[in-house]
Amino acid sequence: MIVDCHTHWGMAWTARDGEDPARWLAELDRLGVDRAVVMPHEGIRRLDRCAADNDRVARVARRAAGRLLPAATAWPQAGTEALAEARRAIEMLGARALKFHPWMQGFSTAEAVFGELCALAGEKGVPVVFHDGTPCYALPEQVGGLARRFPATTFVLGHGGLLWHWRSALAAAERPNVWVCLCGPHQRAIERFCAQADPDRLVWGSDYGFGLEASCLDYRLAALRGARVPEELQARILGENALRLLGLAE
Amino acid sequence: MRAHTLDAYVVLGVDREYDLTEDALLRAMDQAGVARAVVAAPDRQLAVAEREGNDAMLAAAGRRPDRFVPSCTANPWRGEAAVDEVRRALGAGARMVVLHPAVQGVQANDELVWPLVAAAARAGAPVYVHTGPPGHATPWMVVDLARRFPEAALILGHCGATDLWNDVVPAARAAENLYLESSLARPFLFAGYLRELGAGRGVMGSFAPLNDLGFEWARMREVLAPEAYAQVYGPTLAGLLGEGRP
Repeated sequence: MIVDCHTHWGMAWTARDGEDPARWLAELDRLGVDRAVVMPHEGIRRLDRCAADNDRVARVARRAAGRLLPAATAWPQAGTEALAEARRAIEMLGARALKFHPWMQGFSTAEAVFGELCALAGEKGVPVVFHDGTPCYALPEQVGGLARRFPATTFVLGHGGLLWHWRSALAAAERPNVWVCLCGPHQRAIERFCAQADPDRLVWGSDYGFGLEASCLDYRLAALRGARVPEELQARILGENALRLLGLAE
Repeated sequence: MRAHTLDAYVVLGVDREYDLTEDALLRAMDQAGVARAVVAAPDRQLAVAEREGNDAMLAAAGRRPDRFVPSCTANPWRGEAAVDEVRRALGAGARMVVLHPAVQGVQANDELVWPLVAAAARAGAPVYVHTGPPGHATPWMVVDLARRFPEAALILGHCGATDLWNDVVPAARAAENLYLESSLARPFLFAGYLRELGAGRGVMGSFAPLNDLGFEWARMREVLAPEAYAQVYGPTLAGLLGEGRP
């Protein structure tokens, strides 16, 4: 079982394939990936397209016979409307996670409404996934701070601190409600996460879907498999942990 | 092994997450079909023990001049002493100057950096700048250096990976003497930059051992068109190192 915990239904795919995930899924098949968390793309770029893109991602997922697990986003700048949209996405669209990209969406994690979104996610039992590893709004320490404020909410460092903040991600992951998605750190950092972080809170992702090629999926899967990580742990990261994060474990 | 294959950036030494010995590097290069590699010191020797690192790179290249190309550095905060150290290392055979602003605690375009770039340019050595978040070295900061020193060759290490990727193409268009290095930028993005800018602006670096050298080279071969790979695998960097095109 391989679950990709970090993909997007990209605008390029909408432009070419509408809402048909057949070719998108064919790339997963080619690389042996069983399921994927699919997040918005247009919705994290444009506030005015947020709800429409949440709807689109949910419709795409419904056409994938359970293989795609939809995530949704909201914009804290929209105030109470953001809370309503997040609630709608979880309750009506079946969103399995809330995804936020603070620097692209242009908000601080310290904003009051964002705190309310984190609390809602905890109440509903869906994880909050971040683009992380980038100053000034998406640092692992900032996510760690949220994890302290909202201990009932599960937070996911969607990029494990990327290339330059992976030590920060390691530190943030000391909080029991912080998970790390190995989607971005280099191989030596991946090995450090596997050696030092809680092995039950590591998942894997590719960032597949922005472009029409699947080379990032291929690359990042091969990077994990090529890292000096025991096979048993790789299997947990790729499958079992992800299912548990998403509430799908048997 | 393809002649003239040249890896633009490999960290040689053992310190924290770096664990690459000369023997291990040679094995990896042999397996990947890489003829030569520019060797750079681990972070500690870029930040506070530069002379020790420079001498280690020179010694390694002295043992295997056919395989290792030595780089050197000095922390810009040392002022005149930094310039002296870079001049000494270049005089002793170092071929490239490395700046790692995040590790060395300076901004890439700070005036403290200027004398080092000038010294490198006078010696005909390219300047490799580690770029990316947290922002000590952005692509546009390196453009500032490149425009201030048009006689220098600046290598944009990692292409601002990851989140400064938007800046790479416009920044490179703003300075003809700016070259893109592939490591951490990942082959699937790097290929796109070169489609915009031309393959002559790119050099292949693995940043081993943080990345697996063989894996990175194999992926680059897969992703680049043959005519692009023919420049990126070594000839462009050889030219910057003063070797001329093979």
